[in-house]
Amino acid sequence: MRFRPWFQSPGDRATPPRLAERLLSLTARSEDREVMAGDLAEEYATHVASDRGGMRATLWYWRQVLRSTVPNIVSRIRATHAQPDTQPEGDGWMLTLVQDLRYAARTMRRNLAFAALAIITLGLGIGATTIIYSVVDGIVLHPFPFPDPDRLVGVGPAFPKLGADVSYVEVLSPAEYKDVETQSRTLERVVAWDMGNRTLTDGDVPERLFSGFWWGNAFPTLGVPPAVGRGFLPEEITRGDKVAIISHRVWLRRFAGDSSVVGRTIGINGEPYTLVGVMPPRTLIYGTDLWMPMPVGPQVFPRNGRQFQILARLAPGATLESANAELELIARRVERQHGAEFPEYQGWRLVGNTWTDINVSEFRLAGLVLLGAVGFVLLLVCVNVASLLLARSAGRRREIAVRIALGAGRRRIVRQLLTESVALAGLGAVLGVVVAYWGTVSLAALMATLPVPVPGAIALNARVLGVAAVITVVSGILFGLAPAVHATRPDITGTLKAEASASTGSADRHRLQRAFVALEVALALVLLAGGGLLVNSFIRLQRVDPGFDAANVLAMRLTLARERYEGPAITAFFQQLSERVGSLPGVRSVAVGSQFPPITFLRRQFAIEGRPAATEGELPSAYLTLASDSYFRTLGVPLIRGRVPNERDTEETPLVVVINDVAARRYFPGSDPVGQRIRIGDRTIEIVGVVGTVKNVGLDRPAEPEIFGSVRQSAGMDNQLFLIVRTADEPRSLLPAIRREVRAMDAEQPIYLIQTVNEAFVSASGPRRAATMMLTMFAAFALILAAVGIYGVVSYSVSERTREIGLRMALGAQRSQVRTFVVRQAMLPVVIGGAVGLVGAITLGRVMSGMLFEVSGSDPATIGIVALVLALVALAASYVPARRASRLDPLVAIRD
Amino acid sequence: MPDRDFLGEFEQLVLLAVARLGGDGYGMSVRREIERRTGRAVSIGAVYATLDRLENKGYVASRTGAPTAERGGRAKRHFTVQPGGMRALRRTRRILTAMWKDLELGARTGSP
Repeated sequence: MRFRPWFQSPGDRATPPRLAERLLSLTARSEDREVMAGDLAEEYATHVASDRGGMRATLWYWRQVLRSTVPNIVSRIRATHAQPDTQPEGDGWMLTLVQDLRYAARTMRRNLAFAALAIITLGLGIGATTIIYSVVDGIVLHPFPFPDPDRLVGVGPAFPKLGADVSYVEVLSPAEYKDVETQSRTLERVVAWDMGNRTLTDGDVPERLFSGFWWGNAFPTLGVPPAVGRGFLPEEITRGDKVAIISHRVWLRRFAGDSSVVGRTIGINGEPYTLVGVMPPRTLIYGTDLWMPMPVGPQVFPRNGRQFQILARLAPGATLESANAELELIARRVERQHGAEFPEYQGWRLVGNTWTDINVSEFRLAGLVLLGAVGFVLLLVCVNVASLLLARSAGRRREIAVRIALGAGRRRIVRQLLTESVALAGLGAVLGVVVAYWGTVSLAALMATLPVPVPGAIALNARVLGVAAVITVVSGILFGLAPAVHATRPDITGTLKAEASASTGSADRHRLQRAFVALEVALALVLLAGGGLLVNSFIRLQRVDPGFDAANVLAMRLTLARERYEGPAITAFFQQLSERVGSLPGVRSVAVGSQFPPITFLRRQFAIEGRPAATEGELPSAYLTLASDSYFRTLGVPLIRGRVPNERDTEETPLVVVINDVAARRYFPGSDPVGQRIRIGDRTIEIVGVVGTVKNVGLDRPAEPEIFGSVRQSAGMDNQLFLIVRTADEPRSLLPAIRREVRAMDAEQPIYLIQTVNEAFVSASGPRRAATMMLTMFAAFALILAAVGIYGVVSYSVSERTREIGLRMALGAQRSQVRTFVVRQAMLPVVIGGAVGLVGAITLGRVMSGMLFEVSGSDPATIGIVALVLALVALAASYVPARRASRLDPLVAIRD
Repeated sequence: MPDRDFLGEFEQLVLLAVARLGGDGYGMSVRREIERRTGRAVSIGAVYATLDRLENKGYVASRTGAPTAERGGRAKRHFTVQPGGMRALRRTRRILTAMWKDLELGARTGSP
């Protein structure tokens, strides 16, 4: 028995190896398959018959088949290109794809205007979607570059006794951090930090840097290693060593990205610190550019000095739920232990949440609404292009019918048409990515200029581009499917026979076109209503009276270095600066304050003398602002009762405060607060006046109680104050002069957070403003798309029915009757779409209610107006072709 | 159009093989003819890819012959050169001759 290898068939020796034959027939053109196999079989037989034997013959056969593979495929591709429809089904999909793409390119070249219109519309749609997705991806979905973001959590308290809901920034005391750190088993790598400002005095220009003061090494918690150097060592934290870590951007800007700076000494507030590390890019926690160990331990602080935040990792096996259950136990334990001394602990809660959720919640609703809106725009674009394709498919019906008659399967043709539409979408996507690139770059630049840092980064990353690719393919199929299925209705003979009369199959198409119009109107109405509601809110917000004169007021912050200014020196510095700036020409009034509206700072609790510490209900609390005497005059806040502090109130005289009207009404109902005394911490303070209420937490929220203490009596407690300047004209024009005065007093003193009070209000409403602007743009785009869509469908149907219209006119129809007839026909789907859109608009309004201000989500005026606008646009879009129809010459129309 | 068509090298080989075989050319004989005369291994796939192309250009014509047992009951496709193919061969030879004329590559002068 002769050895027979696996690649040789058993049985007759002259039978070629079957596997090789199979491979040959797979690769070869159908016409060549048989003869080629025959040739090889014949030659194989002669090889076998010769003295070289079967084994060699088999090897020869295999070599032939393998070496034929490439030429076979090449000749197959060439053949399929020559004759698109003669390929039998089930051929290699790659070949079919190449062939379909070629065909699509030819079709597009034949009708360039159509292709250009479709590609531009799609490009704008895909581009806008990609931009919005990149924003949502960068800010809401993946804002932080930390691994396992779902396990990085922050902890914040809720104090029902203070009327304070859960918050996470500057809310926990060092003692509470220790409670969590030592007692929690579900949280690990728990770190806490305080935030402040330090001046980098290294190099020529002093620079103010927002800084974090840490207990613990943040890098293991965040899950990222330092870009250069190391994190803080435990002993550096315990001792409060003078070591520092800087952000990546400061490293690049100040030290040109030089790795050798690690280990060097840098000057911070004039003191030497050793630079031990550089954060990786985008690690900024609340925009802190400089990290240092907290110089003292947690035990130094009072239990209710709450200015820290906590970051931790969920321990292995723990979940957010189990961590929260444990935090609840810790809170109860603290309440039992300290509740008597600190009544705010009654019913307090500790809540853990993911770092991402904590920081993006304010953007999430706006982001998701915008994403939904842009999805609608994209859908509208698809419907529009589908409508165009459908109109064109009428012209291609004969071509398709011929191909079906020649034996092309319906699936094959649908596939060809879908390839065409996806190719269109692909070209649109190329344009879209260009648009999106431009958009994201501009947005990122815009974001960098915001005074309040927004987490995350906007960029066209791989994830965004992946989504754009999916959007492209899905939209290509979406807008291509209906026309493709419609175009391949099995009605070949009818089309071939009656191609010219344009009656066969068109009723069907008209139904589909009207459905498209209805869908476009519905989508446009939803978008218009969303835009309208936001614009309406925005107008109302602009009309809100802030309670003071916010125009022409410039504010800037100065943080005096504790190393050089202490106690009275701080008060004296600001007093002198106020006098110098006040004497500048163009300055009306100058004040100093720890904050100005709109403020975001923490509430302090206080007790009212003569009243028992409340055990029921809320404890009195208010924003505490340190202000100079001229604060109220400078901002234009009216005095209602009593007086404001004056120069007779000094460090030697009893402490005095002024409260705002809201505090007076809430905490002193039915009595005069002037003359009453309150306790804050261990100090007793007399209320000497009541001032008018200012929108102190933003225009869109009710004013909160506020207590104003006197800077003069603060003993330099606050080294970080705003200089507030009311000017006669454009406030920023005075900035150079003010800078000169500051430099004259202290050349190393930076000023920062320079903004007008108006700008502060504007940036407080930044996300709202951005959302309003974008949604309005989408709504306008939607309106244009809907108008173009309606116009296209109506003018197409008019041109198709020229003969019918001519006939009507020949039989006596008036021009006005023709116009009415055409417009009425066009308006039917508009009305249906409008009704559907109305339902959608009300649903959207409900979703958006969190973004609205003093406007109901189903505000009848807004929805009524946008519906009217849409109706007018639809009328105009159908009137133009209707008028053309009414001007037809009946004789010409019938003859044609 | 055909006037500007210069035959590729392998096209020439295949077309010449078909011409040499007279009326007897089919895939296997063409393949063997080229192998025998040039000593160059040729795959059946390459031969058919080229024959198909030549047929598309109108240089060769084919007809299907009767199936035979030695071919496993499969048909044979016979190829013959068409007048256009003959013209293309002549044109190609003319062009090549013109290019070779007075060119002396044969002398091994430069070698040490």
